[in-house]
Amino acid sequence: MAKFSIATVFIASISLLLALSNSFSLENPTDRRILVLVDDLALKSSHSIFFSSLQTRGFELDFKLSDDPKIALQRYGQYLYDGLILFSPTIERFGGSLDVAAILDFVDSGKDLIVAADASASDLIRNIAAECGVDFDEDSSAVVIDHGSYAVSGTEGDHTLIAADDFIQSDVLLGTTKIEAPVLFKGIGHSLNPANSLVLKVLSASPSAYSANPKSKLSSPPSLSGSSISLVSVVQARNNARVLFSGSLDLFSNKFFKSPVQKAGSSNKYAKSGNQQFVTELSKWVFHERGHLKAVNVRHHRVGETDEPAIYRINDDLEYLVEIYEWSGSSWEPYVANDVQIQFYMMSPYVLKTMSTDKKGLYHTSFKVPDVYGVFQFKVEYQRLGYTSLSLAKQIPVRPFRHNEYERFIPTAFPYYGASFSTMAAFFIFSFVYLYSK
Amino acid sequence: MGKSPTTKDDAQALFKSLRSAYSATPTNLKIIDLYVVFAVSTALVQVVYLAIVGSFPFNSFLSGVLSCVGTAVLAVCLRIQVNKENKEFKDLPPERAFADFVLCNLVLHLVIMNFLG
Repeated sequence: MAKFSIATVFIASISLLLALSNSFSLENPTDRRILVLVDDLALKSSHSIFFSSLQTRGFELDFKLSDDPKIALQRYGQYLYDGLILFSPTIERFGGSLDVAAILDFVDSGKDLIVAADASASDLIRNIAAECGVDFDEDSSAVVIDHGSYAVSGTEGDHTLIAADDFIQSDVLLGTTKIEAPVLFKGIGHSLNPANSLVLKVLSASPSAYSANPKSKLSSPPSLSGSSISLVSVVQARNNARVLFSGSLDLFSNKFFKSPVQKAGSSNKYAKSGNQQFVTELSKWVFHERGHLKAVNVRHHRVGETDEPAIYRINDDLEYLVEIYEWSGSSWEPYVANDVQIQFYMMSPYVLKTMSTDKKGLYHTSFKVPDVYGVFQFKVEYQRLGYTSLSLAKQIPVRPFRHNEYERFIPTAFPYYGASFSTMAAFFIFSFVYLYSK
Repeated sequence: MGKSPTTKDDAQALFKSLRSAYSATPTNLKIIDLYVVFAVSTALVQVVYLAIVGSFPFNSFLSGVLSCVGTAVLAVCLRIQVNKENKEFKDLPPERAFADFVLCNLVLHLVIMNFLG
C-alpha cells in the first residue's frame, strides 16, 4: 500500500513537471520564456517596439538588471529560460551566478542567445563573442565609420551612423519579403574567426567602411576595413542553438525603427528604416520560429513489399522514404526542396542519390543495393544555410547470395556442360576400348 | 633454285620416317593418343567459345576446360606407365597403372561436377 502511494505521488509529480515545462521541445521548437538583461531599465521603453513585437508573438519576457544578484539561468538543474537577450553592453560582471561559462553552457544545451554590443562594450561581452567566433575590434574607442554610405542627416556628422544594405542572401534568415530600406547602424564592427565555420555574416559593412576612433586623427591603417567588417552576425551551433551578435544596441531601438533614412549618394528617401523588418525577421529565426526542420517516419523496404527487412541481399532493389517538415512557428509544414540526398554508406558512399518529393513533405527514392556485402548505413546529411541540420543514420547489413540463390543452367554455359559430360562419356568409352583391345 | 625442292624432299622424308616409326607403336598406346587428341581439341574449342561470348559464367568455363586438360594429363601419365620401352616403370604392372588412372579420373570428375555450377 505504501509502495503504491509512493508511485502515485511520483507519477503525479512527473505529470505536473511536464505540464509546467511548456517550453522548447522536439514537437514545438519555438522558444517560450526569454530572459532580458539590461544595463538600465530605461531601455525597456526606448526599445519597446522590439520587446512588444516579441510579446505579441507569444514570448514571455523577463526583464532584469544585469547586475541583479538574483539572476539565475537554471534552478535544480533545469533551465528557467529558452532564450537570453543581453542588452547590457557595458556590464563588467553579471550579478548572481551568471558568467561567461554559464552563458556558453546555456548555448551548449541548445538555448538561444541575442547579444548586442556598443561603442563601450565590456570585456565580458567581448569574451562571450570571441567564444562564438565573433571578434569585436580590440580598440575599445573604435566605431565603424563610413564616408561612402553613411545615413544622410540634417547636420554633417562624423559619419558613424551608417545606412547598411549588404544583407546575406537567404530567405530563411531574413524572410521572403525583401528588405527595401537600408538598416541604420551605429556601433562597433567585428570580424569573423576564420577557424569557425558556423558563424555567418548577416549584415556586412560597405567596402568604404573602416573601424577607428572618430575623434582622433587616423595615424595608422585601421585594423578592420571594408566589407570584411561584419555589423550583424549569427551562429548556428551543431546542436541547433542559435546566437545573434550585433555591434549596435541602437539597431533595436524605437528611434532607429521609426526614423527616415536616406543613404548618402542615393536619391531614394525612405520614410522608415529597414531596422524593424530586419530585426523582427532575424529574431524569428533566432527563436526558432523559422528554419527548423525535422525528419520523421524514416522507412525502407524492398520494391514491391511494405515490411522493413532486417537484412538486404546484394543487388536487391529497395525503396527509401523519409518525411521532412519545417516548423512555421505554429505548425509543421511540408518542407519542399530538390536537393535532399541519401547515401548508402560503408566507409564511403556507394550510392548517392537525390530524392524526389511529392511536395507534401514525403521524400523517396529507390536504388539497387551495390554488389558488395557488409554493414551499410542509410545516411541523410542535410545542411543548408539557415536551416537546422538534419543528420540521419540507420544501419543495415547486406549479405551475399546464399549458395542456392545463384543462377543455374545458364544457356551461355551449355557448351561447358557439354564438354564436361562428353569428357566423362569419352572416359567411359576409352576404358572399354582400352581394356578389350588386344 | 635447287634449294627449295631439297627442303620439300627433306620434309617429306621426315614425315615418312615419323609415320613409319609411329606405325610401329603398340595399339593400346595409339588408343591413348587418340583419347588425348580428343580432350585437347575439346579444350581448345571451349577457349575459342570463351573468346566469343565473354567470361561469364567463369566457373563453368574453368570446370569445362579443366576437365579436358585434366583428362589429357591423366591419359599421358597412363601412357608413360604402360609404355613397354619405358624402363622406369618396368616393375609396375599395367593393371595397377590403369586402376590408378580410373581412380584419379573419378576424383577429377567429382570435383568438376561440384564446380560446374
